[in-house]
Amino acid sequence: MNTSGTTSMRDALYEAPGPKMRRKIRIWTIISAVAVAWLVYMIVNVFYVHGQLAPRYWSFFTRATTWRYLGQGFLGTVKVSLTAGAISLVLGLVFMLLRISSIKVLSWLARIVIEFFRGVPSLLLIYFFFLVIPQYGIKMSSFWMITLPVALAASGVLAEVFRAGVNAVPKGQTEAALSLGMSPFKVTHKIVLPQAIRFVIPSLISQLVVVVKDTTVAYVVSYPDLLQNGRVLITNYDALVSTYFVIAVIYILVNYLLNKAAIAVSRRTGAKIIR
Amino acid sequence: MSVSEILATYGDLYVQALLTTWRMTLISFVLAMLIAVVVTVMRVSPIRPLRMLGDFYVQVFRNIAGIALLIIIVYALPYLGVTLPYDICVIATTVLLGSAFGSEHFMSGINTIGVGQIEAARSIGLTFTQMLRLIVIPQALRSAVLPMTNLFIAIMLTTAIGSQVPLSPMELTGLVSYINTRSVGGIATFFISALGYVGTALVVGLVGNRIDKKARILR
Repeated sequence: MNTSGTTSMRDALYEAPGPKMRRKIRIWTIISAVAVAWLVYMIVNVFYVHGQLAPRYWSFFTRATTWRYLGQGFLGTVKVSLTAGAISLVLGLVFMLLRISSIKVLSWLARIVIEFFRGVPSLLLIYFFFLVIPQYGIKMSSFWMITLPVALAASGVLAEVFRAGVNAVPKGQTEAALSLGMSPFKVTHKIVLPQAIRFVIPSLISQLVVVVKDTTVAYVVSYPDLLQNGRVLITNYDALVSTYFVIAVIYILVNYLLNKAAIAVSRRTGAKIIR
Repeated sequence: MSVSEILATYGDLYVQALLTTWRMTLISFVLAMLIAVVVTVMRVSPIRPLRMLGDFYVQVFRNIAGIALLIIIVYALPYLGVTLPYDICVIATTVLLGSAFGSEHFMSGINTIGVGQIEAARSIGLTFTQMLRLIVIPQALRSAVLPMTNLFIAIMLTTAIGSQVPLSPMELTGLVSYINTRSVGGIATFFISALGYVGTALVVGLVGNRIDKKARILR
């Protein structure tokens, strides 16, 4: 149970069990194992009773064309996620630099912008780009109608993440650099930012999970991402439950791996994940 | 449309939408907290299958996208014999997602306490329940204030998925889409809803910070 080498809080809560307690734990382990197994059985049974386990709902997943089509959708998801991620990285950095700038007006403006994008649901931003902007005669491809709002929503959060990174750099270093005669710009550029970015790398990876989740609304602007292509499959094969099930599993696995990567990086560098 | 025109035509709907967003957020937050506590207790219990089930629950619902989950609950569950009203579907989604994140916050709250304190508590002869009641829960709750404030805001933002199903009354995001698919509402229709979200988030954040300053244990 204990893999990290040091005792985790999870295990520290209990003393080493004696023979009586060990028997108790064993009994409850068996009871709960049976309960969990029963739960799994019940869920499978519900699928079975409603005929959702019938081969016609699942057999098309053995065809290469199905996976090629889902793969295309997945590629769309990856494209939107990475582009939005890259844009939000740049915007987040710019917002943060403005926010910590010594010019009061800029700092306040940046603060308002950051709070705005952090406090608004990405779906509302998507509707803004999808329904409101075209009213002013601006035409955009569906790719940008999903990518830009997702990027904007993430940039507000990233600005705060970067700021936490900057705050984690000891003040003494800035003071030392300034007293050496470095210009404030050079201090930020050469001393603070390189360290701050290293601090926040794990947080950036875990923020990518939020971006991937936000891209799932791409069907609103009918951009062919994983979910949208899944919906096409559903109308083609008339297999709703199985397709959504498979797509949900794909999303969960991708995000799970991203989170795992974030944790692995944060372990190696000793940097905390900021949310 | 000018702001006064919008408010004259849709003012009542905006008020209702704001109240709907607040109501869904509040209900979701309370339910999510309750489930998060149960899941967290499962995850720290010495019983292996319960631990695994709790971990599995959290991994599934913190990694699935809200929209995907909502679509499954609305469109797939009826095929399995479960048909829920639309507003229940939305709340169920936000509760499932919120409880997974809430449990994560509780776990990291518990983890900040430090093994040494537990060992100390045991060596002065506290029983298990005393230890939980006097050492673990008070500290875990105190350090969880800020994450929970953020979770409340996150749940509010998640209720925007209610725009994907026909709700009545509509919530803030759905209303923007409703107005702009029927008429040329313009940028102001968007900003009124945005103001509802941002304003609420600011107030909740302020209150959370206030409580956190009082409750936080400085280490």
